[in-house]
Amino acid sequence: MDETAPVGERGGIARRAGGHIMLGLLGLLCVFPIYWLYATSLRAPQDVYELSVLPWPLSLDSYADAMAKNDVAGMLLNTAIVAVLSALGQLLIGLLAAYAFAAWRFPLQRPLYLLFVGTWLVPFQATMLPNYALLGQLGLLETLAGVIIPTLCSTLGVLLLREHLMSFPKELLDAARMDGRSAWGILWTVVVPTLRPVLAALGILLAITAWNEYFWPAMVLQRSNAVIQLGLRSFMGTEGNDWGPLMATAGLACLPVFALYLFLQRHIVNAFVRSGLK
Amino acid sequence: MRKAVSRIRLQRLTRRFGSVTAVDAVSLDVADGEFLVLLGPSGCGKSTLLRMIAGLLAPTEGRVLLGDADITDVPPRRRDLAMVFQSYALYPHLSVARNIGFPLRARGWSRAAIREKVAEVAAALDLTELLDRRPRELSGGQRQRVALGRALVRDPGAFLMDEPLSNLDAALRAGTRAEISALHKRLGATVVYVTHDQVEAMTMATRIALLDKGRLEQVGTPAEVYDEPASVFVARFLGSPAMNLIDATVAATAAGLAARAREVELPLGIDAETPERPVVLGVRPEHLAIAGQGAEGGIRAVVEAVENLGSEEVAHCRAGEARVSVRGPRPLGLRDGDRVRLTARPEHLHLFDADSGRRLAWRPAPVTTPA
Repeated sequence: MDETAPVGERGGIARRAGGHIMLGLLGLLCVFPIYWLYATSLRAPQDVYELSVLPWPLSLDSYADAMAKNDVAGMLLNTAIVAVLSALGQLLIGLLAAYAFAAWRFPLQRPLYLLFVGTWLVPFQATMLPNYALLGQLGLLETLAGVIIPTLCSTLGVLLLREHLMSFPKELLDAARMDGRSAWGILWTVVVPTLRPVLAALGILLAITAWNEYFWPAMVLQRSNAVIQLGLRSFMGTEGNDWGPLMATAGLACLPVFALYLFLQRHIVNAFVRSGLK
Repeated sequence: MRKAVSRIRLQRLTRRFGSVTAVDAVSLDVADGEFLVLLGPSGCGKSTLLRMIAGLLAPTEGRVLLGDADITDVPPRRRDLAMVFQSYALYPHLSVARNIGFPLRARGWSRAAIREKVAEVAAALDLTELLDRRPRELSGGQRQRVALGRALVRDPGAFLMDEPLSNLDAALRAGTRAEISALHKRLGATVVYVTHDQVEAMTMATRIALLDKGRLEQVGTPAEVYDEPASVFVARFLGSPAMNLIDATVAATAAGLAARAREVELPLGIDAETPERPVVLGVRPEHLAIAGQGAEGGIRAVVEAVENLGSEEVAHCRAGEARVSVRGPRPLGLRDGDRVRLTARPEHLHLFDADSGRRLAWRPAPVTTPA
């Protein structure tokens, strides 16, 4: 019996068990495709079309095949570079913009902020061609820089950090001003250290988004498979898909994301919950 | 070691927010070493005024001078003023030692010098044992002392304090009040202190500046503002219970001038004549005495409730349309429903203009001799 539940809200055992079963089923539904991905990658090449739930006998042939056909390690490194630089850039720009919008008063602040937020409503498809043309003029097509630079300004990052900064105690900023810090000094000695958990969570989220990005890298890097998500398409052909190495590469591509979530999920959830609760 | 010049002068300092005037042409001269308390109810503009002195808010009009220097347009970090905030505003990610040393790091002091100065301040404030703790690991009183330490460590020209005791419980507040007063005496520093608590103002201030709706109502020593309130607002704001204020008329009687209202006739002790005029009559509850049966004049009142304050009692009475409180040592000897006659000595009566609410003083008309 839940001793802390409010009066009249202690459900019966059957009702609570029903809830747990429902949640368990939903959880299974979410996890099953990922399980199937790893199960397929661990089957022997001749068994990839098997429908048995447990992959047996276990085989790493698909992984070896994937490594032999593609520079998977190089792709993972490139993807990591794109994800880290893109996340750091978005964090920096988001932090500076959010600090300006939250902690300072300047003419046209509100319209500028609304305009900024409004860019979120513009679909990626509307900006991809101008961005692509601009990258072409700058000579950045087929480069990792071309993948990273247009993603550097994240409206989500600005919105989230602004919300946190709006609930940031104004007296702390005032105290730092009285104590002799300039606006720039306050940002780095007071705001950033205090917002570290939020910045970490947002950084992870942005890095994961950049890691998983397919469409934009596919446009910019048309002649190469420099990042892991593009590498996957080399196993897909008109004569059929090479399922074993495809699943093995996809499984490898998922591992860093799982690792981040496993170690830092509490921070990520906390940061997003707190952003909604002042 | 204290700095020499820390006189603060405000010249017609004004701040407007849209159509609202939060601070209205306030001029003040805070002498070197003075403990000036800005006192007033919530929303009277006292914190806005302090923030303008600190440089955290730009004035709409007027000047701020520190010593002989005009600092109106100088940013806060260059003002040589330290501030203690209501919420203490301690940096949550830093230890007590680093919080106290923060202003020195911002000024580029060496690590060794910072360590030495922080240790000195921590010892003075009994914080030495807490230097490695984070603010969240401290009690309210300890946080307050750290905030004070962060202000002290700089040896600033003057201290600005924005309701620093309001987050403490009553017992701690009384103790810390005494500590801050002792600190002020020891350092001889100039302090501008904002509060809405009249007890803090009366016990700590060398002078009190009372504000109402952004305007300066009165500036004076605690005794002056209590004994000779400049307006009905000041009379009502200071004192607990507040001064009794009765709509009355000043008229000439056989025994000289007297203040009259329904059930009220109090002689003013002035043997003169003057045309009748409406006034607000003020008398503090502790200055009312219970007269014996058969006495003439005074305030004829009915006791409605008696409050026991421990060492004293307060009787709340009704006299005509006016409510009147009487305070005295317990027991007062009054019970609900008693009819009493209350008197007060003329020097304890205050008169205020019925329209402007400003204090009235009796000045005999100058004697003119025909040419």
